[in-house]
Amino acid sequence: MKITMTRRSTRGLMVLAFAALSGCVGVGYGGGGYGVGFYEPGGYDYGGWGHGYRVGPPGRGGVDRGGSRATPSIPRGGHGGHSGGRH
Amino acid sequence: MTNRPMGIGGRLLQWSLGLLCGVAMSGAAAAASFELPPLVQPASAEHHPGKVIWADLVTPDLAAAKRFYGGLFGWTFNDIHTGDSEYSIALLDGMPVAGILQPANRSGEHRQPAWLTFLSVQDVSQAQRITLAQGGRVLSQPRSHAVRGRQAVFADAQGAVFAVLQSSSGDPPDELAAPGEWIWSSLVTHDPHAAAAFYRALFGYEIFDLPSDDGSEHVLLSSDGYARASANPLPGDATKLHPHWLNFIRVVSTTDTVARVAASGGRVLVQPYPDRHGGLVAVVADPAGAPFGLLEWTDTDTKEGAQ
Repeated sequence: MKITMTRRSTRGLMVLAFAALSGCVGVGYGGGGYGVGFYEPGGYDYGGWGHGYRVGPPGRGGVDRGGSRATPSIPRGGHGGHSGGRH
Repeated sequence: MTNRPMGIGGRLLQWSLGLLCGVAMSGAAAAASFELPPLVQPASAEHHPGKVIWADLVTPDLAAAKRFYGGLFGWTFNDIHTGDSEYSIALLDGMPVAGILQPANRSGEHRQPAWLTFLSVQDVSQAQRITLAQGGRVLSQPRSHAVRGRQAVFADAQGAVFAVLQSSSGDPPDELAAPGEWIWSSLVTHDPHAAAAFYRALFGYEIFDLPSDDGSEHVLLSSDGYARASANPLPGDATKLHPHWLNFIRVVSTTDTVARVAASGGRVLVQPYPDRHGGLVAVVADPAGAPFGLLEWTDTDTKEGAQ
């Protein structure tokens, strides 16, 4: 009985150790941390762009398709010099 | 209490405990060795949910990417040790502008290099719940980085991949991007209005239908009174184009930059053409194949719109 308990405990700890090891593989930014899921599917074809295909931001003073609402534009003005990760 | 000789079970128990502790310690050390810099220095209390605040390039060749983007936009780089991957922070005038990740090799995997778009959220866990409720998927579970904040990678209901970031140091202020910085993002997808509804649920966007010359749906996503991104339909003849986010870098001259892209080993996917604001846009790919956009923007574009 005592031996059985010890074996069970040992087995349980081995499982725990394995789980911890698996978890640690995922620590960090790359490899298991980021995984491959966010890679895009292979292949790009932008052949249909241009000639009326608009992707950029509207300038200030524009209106929406119905003409009823003014559309916002992107921020204006320069940097204060304090931001990181600027977009 | 008496000391009895340890049996094989006891020794296994001891070994397992040692392994557990060792693994836990090495894991902690690995995590501690990789620290992303804060998004904003000094930290601010600004938060702009739905604003694109960061981008990471995932590429198989970090050195080649650094040569390409450094030569094109004047970016410099700070390498960060990650353990199993190579990561570098791209800087413009000393300020972080992007990340470049070369993941550990995994044989047999087909990987499409791409820029991953990070949008601001105030609560990553809540964003995850909304993403799942709206039919999206979780590609990378939320994880925290001590200084950077908490982030996760999702796919929207149509399959476009994006990331969310709950920045510990606040979000960058709403200012016009300088040349060499990210200025705009477009979601290219099957159904722009359905996508707009997905992201409105997530970020609280205000939605605008934009006029278009080709009769297709062009949707503007806005927050805080600013245009944050557009949602555009996939061109009908683009059989290999999947829903995705496309980020644009501000350039002084799209035509000149396109020529330099080609000369640096990149490809031109869409030749320069005038967009709704009157300036030229183009889509290019870096030497590894990751696409991104180029966009001219003068300050007068912001004050007097062409459309």
